[in-house]
Amino acid sequence: MEFKLEAHRIVSISLGKIYSARGQRGGLKLHKNLLVSLVLRSARQVYLSEPCCPPEPPAAPRALPEEPPPPCAAAAAWAPGEPPPPPDEAPRGGPRRPGADCESARARRCCCCGCCCCEAGGGGAAPPLPCCSRKRGAGERGQAGSPVKKPRREAEEPPPPPPGEQEDMETGNVANLISIFGSSFSGLLGKDPPGRRRAPRDGGEAAAAAPAEAAAEPGQICCDEPVLRTLNPWSTAIVAF
Amino acid sequence: TACYFVSVLFTADIISTVEFNYSGDLLATGDKGGRVVIFQREQENKSRPHSRGEYNVYSTFQSHEPEFDYLKSLEIEEKINKIRWLPQQNAAHFLLSTNDKTIKLWKISERDKRAEGYNLKDEDGRLRDPFRITALRVPILKPMDLMVEASPRRIFANAHTYHINSISVNSDHETYLSADDLRINLWHLEITDRSFNIVDIKPANMEELTEVITAAEFHPHHCNVFVYSSSKGTIRLCDMRSSALCDRHSKFFEEPEDPSSRSFFSEIISSISDVKFSHSGRYMMTRDYLSVKVWDLNMENRPVETYQVHEYLRSKLCSLYENDCIFDKFECCWNGSDSAIMTGSYNNFFRMFDRNTRRDITLEASRESSKPRAILKPRKVCTGGKRKKDEISVDSLDFNKKILHTAWHPMENIIAVAATNNLYIFQDKIN
Repeated sequence: MEFKLEAHRIVSISLGKIYSARGQRGGLKLHKNLLVSLVLRSARQVYLSEPCCPPEPPAAPRALPEEPPPPCAAAAAWAPGEPPPPPDEAPRGGPRRPGADCESARARRCCCCGCCCCEAGGGGAAPPLPCCSRKRGAGERGQAGSPVKKPRREAEEPPPPPPGEQEDMETGNVANLISIFGSSFSGLLGKDPPGRRRAPRDGGEAAAAAPAEAAAEPGQICCDEPVLRTLNPWSTAIVAF
Repeated sequence: TACYFVSVLFTADIISTVEFNYSGDLLATGDKGGRVVIFQREQENKSRPHSRGEYNVYSTFQSHEPEFDYLKSLEIEEKINKIRWLPQQNAAHFLLSTNDKTIKLWKISERDKRAEGYNLKDEDGRLRDPFRITALRVPILKPMDLMVEASPRRIFANAHTYHINSISVNSDHETYLSADDLRINLWHLEITDRSFNIVDIKPANMEELTEVITAAEFHPHHCNVFVYSSSKGTIRLCDMRSSALCDRHSKFFEEPEDPSSRSFFSEIISSISDVKFSHSGRYMMTRDYLSVKVWDLNMENRPVETYQVHEYLRSKLCSLYENDCIFDKFECCWNGSDSAIMTGSYNNFFRMFDRNTRRDITLEASRESSKPRAILKPRKVCTGGKRKKDEISVDSLDFNKKILHTAWHPMENIIAVAATNNLYIFQDKIN
């Protein structure tokens, strides 16, 4: 749960930075905003993949025995500045879904850190998260040509959320922001109008997102109302941007 | 060796770049207000034996003004991003200064004589009525108080869509490169209406952008070789002889990342903020957020030396992201013999590493510890456990006091450290 809150906090901070970059003297700082967008993407991935807070619908992974998940504590090591959750919190029921949590957390340990390929440990708990390989593998080295050739499997945003679900709208907004911010790079050059939505580009990503939505947990964001509400002004602001 | 304080000079605005010239007699600073201030080293003076080593103001001029790009509705900041000196070829001094968009070549020359006795104008400069001139005279040169004049000789504009982060003068003394986030251009110092694009990493679709250029520099001896660093922590070495467009690198330097230290911010802290060749040309040094790395140009898969600048910040990355400090771009520099390197940190601390002895020292540029010829006391940050006397805890560090720009005299142990709007000059203790 701490991961989710931390990720959410980082998403909020990142959106705030993107928003305030609009009025910056000297124009958009491409380098800084690229870095912010990468952090935003990582945090959003973590946020989307984290298990939901209570109450939550039952699902197969819950069948796994509840036990203190030391690997989860270990997985918490990466969380910035966060001390690992004390083991006695682990057996707590709903929020952590300890068994599945461990599995997915272990898998997520690599993924939430932003990149690197990881195997989804859980049986079905965590959808195979799209990997963004930021560092080149050995095979990609050498005369790879333009350094901006991104591996196809790098994540873009998930498909548009189904209408009428407020929590999915939240995801949609964040996805929208990434898309808008992404097009703002070309907006800088005046090529593409800002706010243009991109269709999902990667079939692999759509496939990964589909089980997420089917399982209905990772895609859902159960947040406090105030937290949900705070994200909305950002989206309107960024759309204007 | 101990380091002792020589002088501190105050400028009106935040210093944004510091650079010694090739002889070390001149020290140039650029600031956020677009001004360049040049300091000159005091000559040996028998009546003031300790004055040598002091730098005094030599020339001040406004290099860049704020501009407005009407097409994009963007203001162009006048802040001087980089200054690079040209090697001296005659009595005048030349330097390149750049803001985000425009590079200027400045000539700094001394004038100590003035012509008097013009025919067509009188001493006030007013034009004389030609019909009243009845005799001709030859103007004579008379001595005057030394005046240092700076005049812009070339203006290299309109070649960069993105923000210029680096300029580097080539060893051929005829060309130089300028780098922005996505492109590197090659200029001839004499030609302002044309530049050659030698690196272009702009993707066809900007939404695919994953990496930007953060710094670039020419090799000190091989005029066909340059390097550029990226926001992904990689360095590419390019050879201009191999092709006109150097999108294909000759060498690619990258250290495999340590998976155990991954976090949300791994990408940001691996971004390289500065790259500098050693004077020998055998090595290069890169600065990322937490460390300085020395690379052997013959070994691409990892640096030969890594120095931790302020590892205690690793657990604070989220806060540093929040307050934007994680985006600070620290520079680094070599000493003249390449035996030591220096870089800045927070709380007005700066760090020096001796490559041979592997010893390091942390010093502070502060008014309190800066009495003339006072020896600087080494500082220590307490990283955990009981704080010893004279140690500073990480939480007490002032993150608004950052030393981003430092410079080392090319031959002697004199260093210039820019702390916000103060320029500190320190010298090694001479026995």
